[in-house]
Amino acid sequence: MSTCPAPSSYANNVAMAMTSTTSSGALPYLGYGLGLRVEHYESLLANPGQVEWLEVVSENYMVSGGLPLVWLDRFRERFPLVMHGVSLSIGSTDPLDDDYLARLAALAQRIEPAWVSDHLCWTGVQGVNLHDLMPLPYTEEALDHVVSRVKRVQDTLKRRILLENVSSYVSFADSQLTEWEFLAAIAERADCMILLDINNVHVSAMNHGFSSLDYLRGIPVSRVHQFHLAGYEEGEKLIIDTHDAPVSNAVWDLYVEAVRRFGRVSTMIERDDNFPPLAELMAELEHARQLAEPLLRDAA
Amino acid sequence: MSALQAIQQQMLQAVLAEKAPPTNAIRSDDIADVESRLAIYRHGYRIRLRDALRTEFSGLQCMAGQRFDALLDKYIDAHPSEHYNIRWHGSGVAAFLAYARPWRDKPQLAEMARLDWAISTAFDAANETSVGMAELSSVPPDAWANLQLLMQENLQLLGSLYNIDAFRRAADNGAPRPRLRRFDQAHQVMVWRKGTTVHYRKLDPDEWPVLAAAMRGEPFASLCVTLAQHHDESAAMPRMVALLQGWLEAGLIRGLATV
Ligand SMILES: [Fe+2]
Repeated sequence: MSTCPAPSSYANNVAMAMTSTTSSGALPYLGYGLGLRVEHYESLLANPGQVEWLEVVSENYMVSGGLPLVWLDRFRERFPLVMHGVSLSIGSTDPLDDDYLARLAALAQRIEPAWVSDHLCWTGVQGVNLHDLMPLPYTEEALDHVVSRVKRVQDTLKRRILLENVSSYVSFADSQLTEWEFLAAIAERADCMILLDINNVHVSAMNHGFSSLDYLRGIPVSRVHQFHLAGYEEGEKLIIDTHDAPVSNAVWDLYVEAVRRFGRVSTMIERDDNFPPLAELMAELEHARQLAEPLLRDAA
Repeated sequence: MSALQAIQQQMLQAVLAEKAPPTNAIRSDDIADVESRLAIYRHGYRIRLRDALRTEFSGLQCMAGQRFDALLDKYIDAHPSEHYNIRWHGSGVAAFLAYARPWRDKPQLAEMARLDWAISTAFDAANETSVGMAELSSVPPDAWANLQLLMQENLQLLGSLYNIDAFRRAADNGAPRPRLRRFDQAHQVMVWRKGTTVHYRKLDPDEWPVLAAAMRGEPFASLCVTLAQHHDESAAMPRMVALLQGWLEAGLIRGLATV
């Protein structure tokens, strides 16, 4: 037990995570976590430090058997887990993939995550998968389309899902709403929650020339249930969401503003590539804690 | 077609194409023009598929050497990805190499890709139980003739004229690239998983027909007949015992039944 993170709060978090899966009510607060990646399996089990919960990429474990599920079960014993998908393609005009949904539901049943999330985007159309988080036009038509599909997914999974804002490099002439108006409207009308990726807000704000603070102010406080923090790369004209670098100063500043507005929200560092030693991610997570906790104490 | 559908189809085409067809659906501004905006998605699509395939086809990379990236790019251009799991785009590589020029003239590449892909699919195939010595030795002697060995469902046999296993082994061990060898007769490479570890090995010439017969569900008596075609009577019996011991140790038998 000595290697478990903060045993009492950990046990409490597990208990909260467990009860949340049977009720349709409030989702639990999990604290400060990390995205689980193969590169850190060993070191994270050996030294979980102050990591309070883990986010797993759903598709990596939507498999029939073998090593991935063995590791998943090991982490399931030690941490509260949340599931984060990349292939739901909630905004695509192709039909929802029933096989995908069935596998997603089966995984959720197996690991009883505190919640399930995916992205507000489309990943392919006409049977082709681009394996990317493609942005939508912010129109009434797209809004209706996504809302009806979120409802179907939530009915299938028998739980509310979280949708994450994506980084984008194009915007569409058809758009009648801002991105934040669109995201907020979907959350309200579909009755789903929001995973706010602070880095993605910053990246899209830079690439499309809007104010990231306007974005935060446009998102309803009660809908935000998780933060992602990540790093980006400066391109020639645009900035590219690579999730392969340390969190930038601009994103830390925006995180502080987000904590001021949204209060206590489960927060994690999301690194998808160019993996540093686990200790570096833990230091970033600790930095998030150091920034947020004094603000939250003052607010209380 | 709805406006949303039209936009998605235009975007799809713009990402898959070498160069974007002109579109006024996408906004251009002082920050960046449409072409540089689309280029990010186009570049990302190829990079992601290339990275995913590189991970799955390490034996092919070892065999193809410097031609590997060009080969992947041609495959990616010829075959848009269809599965939500990016790894599964690897399912078509062997077939592509078997029919597309110039690779179809080097059949070792398609054979190599088949081995890589078999290893990849065995990795997260369904878990199976395996039978131990105790279970097999508790079968009464008069029941052996009709005994059926149920082999692992994830077990795959791949015929090859080349030393494909040597290339994969070199890739797995970070060893230098071996010399390509072509055999006079096709041999079989077996791929299977024991516990969580995927294994592969070349089968002995007398082993593969027996194993193939077992996989077809033929009773033990007929496995003995098959083996007897390779050995005289005195050698066949101990050879069969050795094969069975090897299969048990490898966890290849998932259950026992009677025909
Ligand atoms: Fe994210």
